Amino acid sequence: MNIVEANNVTKNYRVGVGRARIREMVPPPFDRGLAKVLNKWWYKDTFNALEDISLSFPAGSSVGLIGHNGAGKTTMLKVLAGVTAPTTGSIKVNGRVAALIDALVGFHPELTGRENIFFLGSMHGFGRRDMRARVEQIADFAQIDEMLDTPVKRFSAGMSARLGFATMATLDPEILLVDEILAVGDANFQQRCIQWLDSYREDGGTLLFVSHNLGLVRNMTKHVVWLDHGKVVQEGLTSKVLGDYARAMERRDSDGPANKNRWAAKKLMKSTGMNRWGAGGVRIQEVHLSEPNERHGLTVSIRYEASNVERGLFCLGFIDEAGNEIGAAVSQPLVLKQGGGAMQCSIETLGFHSGIYFPVAAILSPDGVVHDRWRLDRAVVIERDYDAVPDGFGAVEIASRWSKDASPDASELPRLGTAE
Amino acid sequence: MLSLVRRQYQVRYRQSMVGLAWAIIPPIATLATAMLVFGNIAGLDKGKNSYSLITMAALVPWTFFASSLTAGIPSIVSNSTTLTRIPFPRAALPLGTIGISMIDISISMILFTVMAYTIGDGLPLTAMWFPVLFILELVLVIGVVLLGSAINVFARDVKLAVPLGTQLWMFLTPVLYPLSTVESPGVRTFMLANPMTGVVESFRDILIHGTAPDAQLLMPAMIGALGLLLLGSWYFSSVETRFADVV
Repeated sequence: MNIVEANNVTKNYRVGVGRARIREMVPPPFDRGLAKVLNKWWYKDTFNALEDISLSFPAGSSVGLIGHNGAGKTTMLKVLAGVTAPTTGSIKVNGRVAALIDALVGFHPELTGRENIFFLGSMHGFGRRDMRARVEQIADFAQIDEMLDTPVKRFSAGMSARLGFATMATLDPEILLVDEILAVGDANFQQRCIQWLDSYREDGGTLLFVSHNLGLVRNMTKHVVWLDHGKVVQEGLTSKVLGDYARAMERRDSDGPANKNRWAAKKLMKSTGMNRWGAGGVRIQEVHLSEPNERHGLTVSIRYEASNVERGLFCLGFIDEAGNEIGAAVSQPLVLKQGGGAMQCSIETLGFHSGIYFPVAAILSPDGVVHDRWRLDRAVVIERDYDAVPDGFGAVEIASRWSKDASPDASELPRLGTAE
Repeated sequence: MLSLVRRQYQVRYRQSMVGLAWAIIPPIATLATAMLVFGNIAGLDKGKNSYSLITMAALVPWTFFASSLTAGIPSIVSNSTTLTRIPFPRAALPLGTIGISMIDISISMILFTVMAYTIGDGLPLTAMWFPVLFILELVLVIGVVLLGSAINVFARDVKLAVPLGTQLWMFLTPVLYPLSTVESPGVRTFMLANPMTGVVESFRDILIHGTAPDAQLLMPAMIGALGLLLLGSWYFSSVETRFADVV
């Protein structure tokens, strides 16, 4: 049986303030009558945040919701959480739902952390005695012991996010709806959230996960729904959908200089502060990067300008969507041409999972001085039918050759693991 | 539901210096001002019972009515963060504030009892009617608050009009003066049609005059209470699914 079911859900919102709201005052059944008579006025300034969406998930599944801003992801979570009703269509949810739609999770700003924990607990059917046992646990997980009796309005954004997640986590949900909340906490807390979510899924919990962090979506979910303008574009295995999504995003990114959809690259650059720095002894003038070929290999050409630096290492590294530095192709120390020159490199295969990667070109001295490190305003999309490396073995496939014939000198290798 | 009430109670006097004292201050202040203005200048303090007692008997139902409206009508909007994040029966919010306002009526009732035994002849036996009248008033209040709080979500004018509305309503209800002092028959008929008139006058009857409530006097209140309850709960339930989208 499906634990979550949405049948032909459409959610219509009105935009604008003030008098536009008058229309919503009209109670059913009169609203339908009025809509018929004053059709034009009635539907002015409305849009469908969700349009005829049907989804269903079995218990224990973990599903990612992806899409651009305004695609309807949050609305979908709100509808599933029962916070707002669909305009048409129906929702069936068979289990205890906890929704982390934003960091506030329904806390009252005037109340203290402790009071809010009790309140949230009681809204989910936990009595004061049940909650008293959990308060310590929550404060511990959220790391806010000393702030527990301070009004939540004095909390920092990170603190309320931690408290929200920690409280929800102790309420034993059967269905957890999480909306980008992990973006708020620090790295340490994110790590603990992810660990908790992992064990939650292992215990059979159902997870619906909205995030722009595709790396996280890949790790957390097996199934992905891609929404765009309130419609399901694609639904299926995570690796497949993410690949198509990444490719579509790349296409939008290269729609010319005026496009606004370079947000992924821009956001990443912003988050790390600088996209170019170095000592300046050698400067990169130009980088040419080919599209990855069918074997996920590519060629790069770096033109440089040098003065007084004799030898240098050329480097082309890759950063994933989450900002992790994945790996790099590095040259031997090479003699630089006085004045300037160019270097070519061909990468046979990028052993990465499907995803979007951001290349970084750099020139260093052999002693480690970075002369120019340049994060390029460009994304490389890798698309595979299956993950490059099975679960639990990391993010990069190591280039290797395998054969059946026992090598004659295999017996001379140190023996490590023999099965009894 | 209970925890929503608890929370609203916790929030109500948060960051105020005297806290719960604010439940006692309004009736006393109203009474004191009324005594000063009407009791001395208008020369009403001539009857069998003192003016202060007559006014206090009316303030018992009135403060409950006024505080329920003031807190109840904005309750949906003021709890928007909860509303947009946690699913629960929306009516718990306005009903919860009415629940808290019961503190007000208990306090003003205690205040009246103390006054009745110190300046008056004590409580007559007809005070036993109190629960019946209170339930009638409660039904009326629930109707008004459900309707008002729901409309307020879409048109905040309601909340802005509440202080003015309750003030005007108070002048049109014989709270600061007994109904018997109204001489013009036209105004009298008009005031009798006001549901709160019957409630307030009946509270006076049972708490001071020692007479049972007059069914004819209470007729507008009973019709009004029932009508508003039906209208309010119908309207509230038919639009409550939209609250989270609009607040």
